[in-house]
This record gives sequence, structure tokens and C-alpha cells, in this order.
Amino acid sequence: MAAKSNILEVSDLKTHFFTEQGVVPAVDGVSFQIKRGGTLGVLGESGCGKSVTGFSILRLVRPPGEIVAGQIRYYGRDTVNGDDLAQIDATSEEMRQMRGSEIAMVFQEPMTSLDPLFTVGNQIMEAILYHQDVSKAEARKIAIEMLDKVRMPQPREMIKKYPHQLSGGMRQRVMIAMALSCRPKLLIADEPTTALDVTTEAQILELMRELQEELGMAIMFITHDLGVIAEMAEEVAVMYLGKVVEQSDIESLFTDPQHPYTKALMQSIPKVGQKADGRLETIRGMVPSPRNIPTGCPFHPRCASFLQGICDTELPQLKQSKPGHWVSCFLYEDGNAGHSSTPPPAPPQSIGEG
Amino acid sequence: MVDEGRVVLKVQNLKKYYPITAGLLRRVVGHVKAVDDVTFSIPERTTLGLVGESGCGKTTAAHTIMRGLEPTGGKVVFHDRQLGAVDLATADKDTLYQVRRNMQMVFQDPNSSLNPRMTLLDLIGEPLLVYKQAKGQELVDRVAELLKHVGLRPEYMRRFPHAFSGGQRQRIGIARALALNPQFIVADEPTSALDVSIQAQTLNLLQDLQDEFSLSYLFIAHDLSVVEHISDFVAVMYVGKLVEHADTRRLYHNPKHPYTEALLSSIPRPDPTTSKRRVPITGELPDPANPPQGCYFHPRCPYAEALCTHEEPPLQEVEPGHYAACHFADKLSLRGVNDF
Repeated sequence: MAAKSNILEVSDLKTHFFTEQGVVPAVDGVSFQIKRGGTLGVLGESGCGKSVTGFSILRLVRPPGEIVAGQIRYYGRDTVNGDDLAQIDATSEEMRQMRGSEIAMVFQEPMTSLDPLFTVGNQIMEAILYHQDVSKAEARKIAIEMLDKVRMPQPREMIKKYPHQLSGGMRQRVMIAMALSCRPKLLIADEPTTALDVTTEAQILELMRELQEELGMAIMFITHDLGVIAEMAEEVAVMYLGKVVEQSDIESLFTDPQHPYTKALMQSIPKVGQKADGRLETIRGMVPSPRNIPTGCPFHPRCASFLQGICDTELPQLKQSKPGHWVSCFLYEDGNAGHSSTPPPAPPQSIGEG
Repeated sequence: MVDEGRVVLKVQNLKKYYPITAGLLRRVVGHVKAVDDVTFSIPERTTLGLVGESGCGKTTAAHTIMRGLEPTGGKVVFHDRQLGAVDLATADKDTLYQVRRNMQMVFQDPNSSLNPRMTLLDLIGEPLLVYKQAKGQELVDRVAELLKHVGLRPEYMRRFPHAFSGGQRQRIGIARALALNPQFIVADEPTSALDVSIQAQTLNLLQDLQDEFSLSYLFIAHDLSVVEHISDFVAVMYVGKLVEHADTRRLYHNPKHPYTEALLSSIPRPDPTTSKRRVPITGELPDPANPPQGCYFHPRCPYAEALCTHEEPPLQEVEPGHYAACHFADKLSLRGVNDF
């Protein structure tokens, strides 16, 4: 059998949090694929479950959170059959080996994710020493090489610095150097530029693109910023309240957005260079509490095209509306939208299987 | 600087320096020039957007204008509705008390800028009590009115801020700023902590309130598309200095300072068809305690020449109403926001 063209296939993933106030379905039936060396953007507002999805893949979800269903097939080690990360014990040695050397993560806040008590060199070397059979001197050499790769000036000097001595952009470069030091095949980047200035953001995005070309890793890019997603992603999954509501390639998403939520998001941001006097389009209301998700389509109370009696009673499934474009909305279902006898469609398997 | 209609605020050569001390005797060995010779004015009922990278002195400038910080030098002339022109930089305590009624602030983080132990009634009613504008039932009525103006239900006035979402809390902060019917509001990154769908609601609210109450805004933000949307004029700051100032359209489409061009080039575009091969600006913001010689931007500037390394360019009027601090402002042809 040939090796899979996808590096990761998530199907029907459910990660729920069992809190004292009730169950919070933070991720509720999410499916997507990431191509080898490709970039999947995960777009959504706070609380939509995009970060929990990332944490679930790395098995970093802590109690009361738990993966209750679904598969996370990773084709980096066993390229034909894959490993189901959801089945591996999160505390096992196998999973620890997976983190960092196979799948790495870059977080939003470079200040809180670096240890203030250790030099950045120490922190990069720690990962290298854990995953690779090298001496301390060799690890140091790799750390310097990695800092050079992320375009840090004077890496030999930088390796001795503590996180507080570096600017936000520099810290994020250190995080990326650390994440890439063991050559992972998949990088999960969770809002890596949100805390940065626009000029630094542009530098970091450019750097990530260059490193992806050079090292060939796949990237799962989690963000709320439509501009950043347009720059970085090839495929996009739009999430709302724990579910993927739309999924397509980047061009199709921006030229022909289909889900009312995606459309509304795109209309609600000011477009730079097109100053128009007047008001912005808004999405009415706000994201409901995840403890109290509306019945039917979770977006229906805010939706401009809400169909009475359909959207508030039944849950739309993710269906292909045109080649390469999936949307979960009754507006795109042909015939009788209320037909509950139609079997739920398989998750969009064909993305990336070219 | 701008001569259109009446001016509500005129900032002239504003300076805020922090001394750097060393040794046992705390000898002053230098200064961090957080705000250095900043001059601009805001016409009535308009919005001035103030942009720049973090650490460039935007917030310090705003706090110094409000006299939350003592200015090191310069003038801040505020045209008060009741008192006429007042120089805030030298005003005494009583005058400041009177003037501050008419100038208010909206802060970035609605979670930390509202006291969690105060109800909405206390929070929004506090300025009315301090200025003895209302009490008792009248106070309750005024707060109810304000809540309606910002799109919150008056029934909620006995609740505490934790019961509200981020967007709603920002509305509470705006209601509080509006309580005394001010002329001028400083909004310091009012939408940065909000979600995309909530950001649009808040920006619309700020614009509606501007029309309704004839407000003028100093709008500080790092998101250049938000600033373009809401501002009539834009000022760009770099290491404590203004480097460019013009009306929004000209600044975005026909910038005269290479730093502005670099900022515009860096904006991530929500359009996958545009070129992804922009030229990102290199290097980082210099240390304001030890800025470079000459033009502060020259180490990062692709157009820098020998002159830039030793002579500091003054902020000059390049075209009527368009100011830039660059030796080559009239020679360079820089790319605007749609040219990338």
C-alpha cells in the first residue's frame, strides 16, 4: 500500500469537559484532514473549540476535559496505516515521544510559554536532549543552528539570554526554533502572531512560510484573523461552537463563502484600503455560552437566513455544496431540507487525496 | 495643524521624559523620551487615529494629554465647553477637575478596567456622583438612559461586571465614559480584546455615539484596518515621535514616510489572491533609552542615505495638511495601501 497523502486525519472528534456546572462540548464532532507539507487554517472566534482541537491532537487536554469519541489518525510514523492518537495513553512514553519530535506546537503567548528561570538556549536544548541521542555540546550546536534558522541575530549570544531580555517577536522566534528543533512533521500553531505588532507579525508569518518550504512540515494554523488565514492557509475549516461549519480551499472560501456565519464574519471586518463612510455589517447577538448551546443549528439565533421550524429543530450536517467545498447549512441542502431520513454523510474524505 | 472647523484639542510639542538614574546618588545619566515633541490637533466631531508599534509611546501620549502623567514640556490646549481654552499641561487641580468632566477615557481591557465589586449602577453612576450631577432616583434614571444608549438592558443595572461578556463589558466602559456628556474621548485600543463579530458592533456604537453627542475621539489602535475605518485623520508614531500625520485617505493611499509604507505593507489582507510576497520590514523597534543617531527609523529604512544617519528630519508639511518627518518625503514615491 502506498503512503497516505495526508499527515493527519481527524474524524468525528469529540472533546468534552465534565465540569460541576454540566458538560461543555468544546469540540463536538470535528473532522478534517491535513496534507503532508500542507497548511490547514482553523478559523473561529474565542470559545469555538479551535484551541481545544489542537490540544486534543497532542493529547494535552487535562481533566475535566476528555476525548469522548472520534479518531485522530496520524500518518507520520506509520505512513500506511497511521496511529490513532486518540487511543494512545496521554501520559505514556509513546505519546511523549510523539510530542515535539513528530508533532510540535507554538503557542500564542511567548512570554507565558517560556520558563523565565532558564536561558532560551537551555530550553531549546532540553527538547533536543529529550528526543535525540546527542551530547550536550551537539545539542547546543543544534540550538544555535535553529536560532540562526529563525533569523535571530547573533545566535551564539542569544542562546545565553533569558526570556525577559527578548522582545515579543524574538520570543516567538525562540518558540518556533524550539518547536522545529526536532524536525516535526506537523506543527500546530495556535494564534502565534496574535500578541505581536503588525510589522513583527508579517516577519513571523514570512519566516513560517520559508521554514515550511525548507523543512517540509505540515502546519495547522489556528487563528481568528481572516487576514492571517488568507496569507497562510491552503485549506480552511471554519469553526463555530465546537463544530466545523464550513470547509474548503482558501480561494473558494474567500470568493464564495457559503455558511451565513462565514459570510457575516467577512462582512463585519473593515477592509483596509477601501474606506467607506458608514457602518460595518454586524452579526447580531453574541456567541452563546457553550453550556447552553441552542438546539438545531447552533448559529440559528444569530443567523440572517434562519428558517423557522428547520434551523431551530434539526442539526445540519457538513455536506459538499460544490467540489472541494463543504458546508453545514440547510440553505445548501437540495430538496426538502427537513428530511431527517437522509443518512449522515461521511466526513469529507476526499480533501487532499489527489 | 489641521484647520478645519473648530479644534477641540491642540497638542503642541508635548514631551514626556523618564530619567535614567545610575549609581549610589541616583545621578541622572539619560532620559527615555517616551513622548518627544508631539504636535497635533483634533477638530471637533472628528476622530484622530494614533498608530504605531507597541512601545512607541501611544498610550503614554494619551495619558500625558489627560494629565494622568505629568508632562515634561509642551502644551495641551483643550477647548472646554464651559471654560474655553485651557492648557492642561499647566492647569491647577481645580481647573483639571472641571475640565475632566468633558474628557473621558475608554480602556483596552474591559475585564480589568471595571471594579468587580461594583454594580453597573455604581460604575456608571460614579462620575455623576463625583460631579454632583445626580443622586437618588434621578441617578438611577440617568444610568438607565445611558445603558440604553450603549445597547444594554436597564434591568441589568444591579448586576456585577462578571455577569457580562467581553463585548458587553466594553459597552459598560463606554457608558461610564459617556455619563458626564463629554466633548472628547480617548479610546485606547477599545476593540483589541474583542472578537471579530463583537468588534464591528463596538465600532458602530462608537460612530453612532459620535454623531449623537458630537464627540471627538483620539483613537489608539494597532489594527490598521480598524483605524482606517473609524478615523478622519491618522498620526503615525515611532519611538516617541510623530513621523506622519494626514487625513486618512491620503495617509493610506499616498504615504510620505517610509515607516508608514512599511506598516501598510505588513497588514495581513483577507484576500488570498493578493501577492503573498510582500517585503516585510526588517529589524525591531529601537530601545527608546538609546535611539539611533539621526532619523530613528534609518536602520530599518530601505531608502536611508548618509544624511539620515546623522541628521534628524523635522516634521514638515509636505503637502497642505500632510505632514511627514523624512528628509526625502517629497522625493520618494512610496506605495499606498492598495499597491502591495
